[in-house]
Amino acid sequence: MAVTSNNIANAGTPGYSKESVVLSAAAPQSNGTASVGSGVNLIATTRAFNQATSNQLNSSQSSLGQLNGLQGYTSQIDNIVGTTAGGISTALQDFYSAWSAVANTPTSAATRQALIGKAQSVADSFSRISSQLNGLNTDINTRITADVQQINSIGASISKLNQQIVVSTAQAGGSPPNTLLDQRDKLVSDLSSLIGVSTTTDTNGALNVFVGNGQPLVLQGTTTTLTTVGNSFNSAQLEISSSTAAGNVISSYITSGDLGGLLAARTQAIQPVQNQLGQIAIAFSQAVNSQQNAGLDLSGQFGANLFSVGGPTATASSKNTDNTSVAVSIANVGALTANDYVLSYKAGAYSLTRSSDGSTVALSGAGTAASPLTADGLSIVVSATPAAGDQFLIQPTAQAAGSFAAVLTDPSKIAAAGAVQTSAANGNVGNATISSGTVVNAANPNLLNTTSIQFISPTAYSVNGAGSFAYTAGANISLNGWQASISGTPAAGDTFTVKSNAGGTGDNRNALASANQQTQGILANGTISINGAISSLITGIGSEAQQVNTAQAAQSAVNTQAQKNVQSVSGVNLDEEAASLLQWQQSYQAAAQALKIGSSLFQSLLTAVQAA
Amino acid sequence: MRVTQSLNQAQFLAALTQIESNLSQTQNQISSNLAFTTPSQNPVAAGSVNNYDQALAQSQQYDANANSAQTRLGTEDSALAQVQTELQTLRDLALQANNGSVSSEGHTAIAAQATQIQNSLLSLANTQDGNGEYIFGGFSTTNQPFALTPSGASYAGDQGQRQAQIAAGQTIADGDNGNVVFNQIKTGNGTFSASAAAGNTGTGVLGASAVQNPAAYDGGTYAVNFTAANTYEVRDSANVLVTSGTYISGQSIAFRGVQVTLSGQPATGDSFTVAPSTNQSLFTTVQNLVTALQTGTGTSATQAKLNNSLGNAINNIDQALSQTSNVRATIGARLNTITTQQSVSSSQQIQLKASISSLQSLDYASAITALDLQNTTLSASMQAYTLTQGLTLFKFL
Repeated sequence: MAVTSNNIANAGTPGYSKESVVLSAAAPQSNGTASVGSGVNLIATTRAFNQATSNQLNSSQSSLGQLNGLQGYTSQIDNIVGTTAGGISTALQDFYSAWSAVANTPTSAATRQALIGKAQSVADSFSRISSQLNGLNTDINTRITADVQQINSIGASISKLNQQIVVSTAQAGGSPPNTLLDQRDKLVSDLSSLIGVSTTTDTNGALNVFVGNGQPLVLQGTTTTLTTVGNSFNSAQLEISSSTAAGNVISSYITSGDLGGLLAARTQAIQPVQNQLGQIAIAFSQAVNSQQNAGLDLSGQFGANLFSVGGPTATASSKNTDNTSVAVSIANVGALTANDYVLSYKAGAYSLTRSSDGSTVALSGAGTAASPLTADGLSIVVSATPAAGDQFLIQPTAQAAGSFAAVLTDPSKIAAAGAVQTSAANGNVGNATISSGTVVNAANPNLLNTTSIQFISPTAYSVNGAGSFAYTAGANISLNGWQASISGTPAAGDTFTVKSNAGGTGDNRNALASANQQTQGILANGTISINGAISSLITGIGSEAQQVNTAQAAQSAVNTQAQKNVQSVSGVNLDEEAASLLQWQQSYQAAAQALKIGSSLFQSLLTAVQAA
Repeated sequence: MRVTQSLNQAQFLAALTQIESNLSQTQNQISSNLAFTTPSQNPVAAGSVNNYDQALAQSQQYDANANSAQTRLGTEDSALAQVQTELQTLRDLALQANNGSVSSEGHTAIAAQATQIQNSLLSLANTQDGNGEYIFGGFSTTNQPFALTPSGASYAGDQGQRQAQIAAGQTIADGDNGNVVFNQIKTGNGTFSASAAAGNTGTGVLGASAVQNPAAYDGGTYAVNFTAANTYEVRDSANVLVTSGTYISGQSIAFRGVQVTLSGQPATGDSFTVAPSTNQSLFTTVQNLVTALQTGTGTSATQAKLNNSLGNAINNIDQALSQTSNVRATIGARLNTITTQQSVSSSQQIQLKASISSLQSLDYASAITALDLQNTTLSASMQAYTLTQGLTLFKFL
């Protein structure tokens, strides 16, 4: 009855296993003719416990812990980036609309000022999202530190319990100290929701706990603590290390539990979004700036950059043995990807691997300034031959979104006008006309030179008074970085002029081209528009969050089932206890009755003797 | 299987949380009228909605561009309509002055009126739109394009023509530069122009001229010289004799596919030139007209000179009128294109809105049904919990 009462009292205690008494009939006593039982002996109090179901629950809890940790971040990203109001989409749409407004009234200071404002808000939304993602990274660091502390303190408690269990098992002559075992199992269960563990039990009852790929956390009565160390490429990014092998990062082996979830959130949820966002920022900024540079502003100068964006970064590993540095630049925006890479130098050769999946990327070039290493749109120059085993982390786009800024503040410096203008002389007799002219290479130093095209006959023309070129109606004439076409029938002596469009402040060709970039393919070798990239980013984030949500829901169900299994073995069912209480009550009553009858028999005997 | 009270309770709480979270999501959907509030609820639709949103905003932007172009073209059209009226008045004045009965005072009065018209034309050519941009300046819209000079007007604009994006891949010119409208006006009949030499002493006055046979006209310059009062010869620019004949007043002289009509009595040595049409500014035409009127008449020769000048002016005004009509016709065509595009884009926008709505808008019937169901589930599970919690053996002890 004491055991049953204890069961009832602990019905709600987490980790408590139902206990039951083991009884056995006492050895019979023989009276010469027959053996008569001599009652009952209490052998032991055992706890209902099944190691297999308990292990199942622990591993299910590790998986659930991982998904819970991950889900916390995927759903935050889902909310931050996913909702269009807080997103870049709206800002970009406004930006392109502002370009259209400038195209409609190129000389209006108001529309130009509005464009500057919209450019600012595009930059703000990029950097806001980026800093929110960075905030998540900081949050992960804090939680990793907290998790590691908790894991270490649980490890210490387990090793203390180990010592107590070994001692009390020896004292009790082998009978198990149920309460201590329950407490220890509860701690292991708590631990497994923080980090995936595997356990072994020694013959003396002590439990050994291992994490990661076999790093010991608890061995008998000693604890090996986990520590956090800065990533070799980025000291601000915390990694997990075991104190047995100081400096040995075991993060990649920790794939389950809350800690596993945090590490996964960093590499699966935050970094890819940060990189993709950066990729979009770089492509967008380059497209806008190069269009700006190809046109003329209100004062007839080439347009200044509208945005500035951080370029690729290369970080040497803290384990590198020399001071070789690596400079990375973007050779081709269209070929740029959202991956991070690790450049390694081994056995006299460079190799480049993608961080996300470890696959090797083909490299060409020698790594010198004259012949840089090139891969995936990047151009890599190494300062000197590195020491063998040196590694460099190359992040082409990770820093871009965070450093994205609108740098143009003077509305008059917006290049709405095309760089060149064309004209036909009023004295022309033929009916030929010249197209308005487009810039094909804004870098040509002679772009703004005045060029006169004079027809020496209806079928041939000279350029600036020299040469004779065959005339084809409608064909493009290219010179000095511009391109224009003459069509119709010219007469000898007809003259056309191509010159700088300085003063053409009402021109909107460059503004139109900028507005039209909205639908142009810019990323992935010119196949994906900026908005397309954002749409796929949104879909990607949504899918990731959805996938984690689904997995989390499924794992919850698995976990519930595992809990049920454990409870079905170890849990306290109050009805059952009530029944066994009744059973004990009845035995007690029966025994009392037996005693009473015995007593009354004895009384009868005494009465008979007295009466006799 | 043994079921324990503590697990039962924990599971009930978990289920309750789940139901309440679903309930809150449905409630959120209903109050926001959105089928999904974060992309994870429907990743593909979220991406598509983003694309559709962009297409819709872009289409609305195209509408705004079209409206802006419409306004600008409207301003240009009404300016050109006034130019036509002024030119028509000017033509009437020139015809009136061409009448021999008008006195020299009359000519001075007409010249004054023509000067007035020149000023009106100048201000029309310097028309500004609502944004203060000169609509006839080409790309140079902030500088006044036309200014009067002694021989007509100078043009400070360029030959640029601004385009407006009214649909994806479709741009439309939202104006015409002043050079095309006012400067590139062909003289004479558009193909060639006939003029009297300044030193003519007779009273020969040029009448109608035309191209009879376009294939035969080679675009050359020809001189009709009077070797005697009734004999003319036609020589080309190399002074080679083309044809000669006897002059009869009012009859046409034809050569190389063209014909000119002369009337009056040319003197020996008088010369008339037939040259290909060149571009002449409208303002030069008006200025020439004013100068001719102010020169005055005294002799029959000066009267003939005036008549020739007026005839030229009338021809050139006719060319200007036809040029203005042509430009107005293209404006009309552009305005038509804009109207067509506007109706296309409005149906496009309806389509896009429908697509967005079908992806994003909430199906109220199913949402409310879901809400109802979740509500029922919630109260049922609460009831079930209280019922089962009452079931314990201890009650019977």
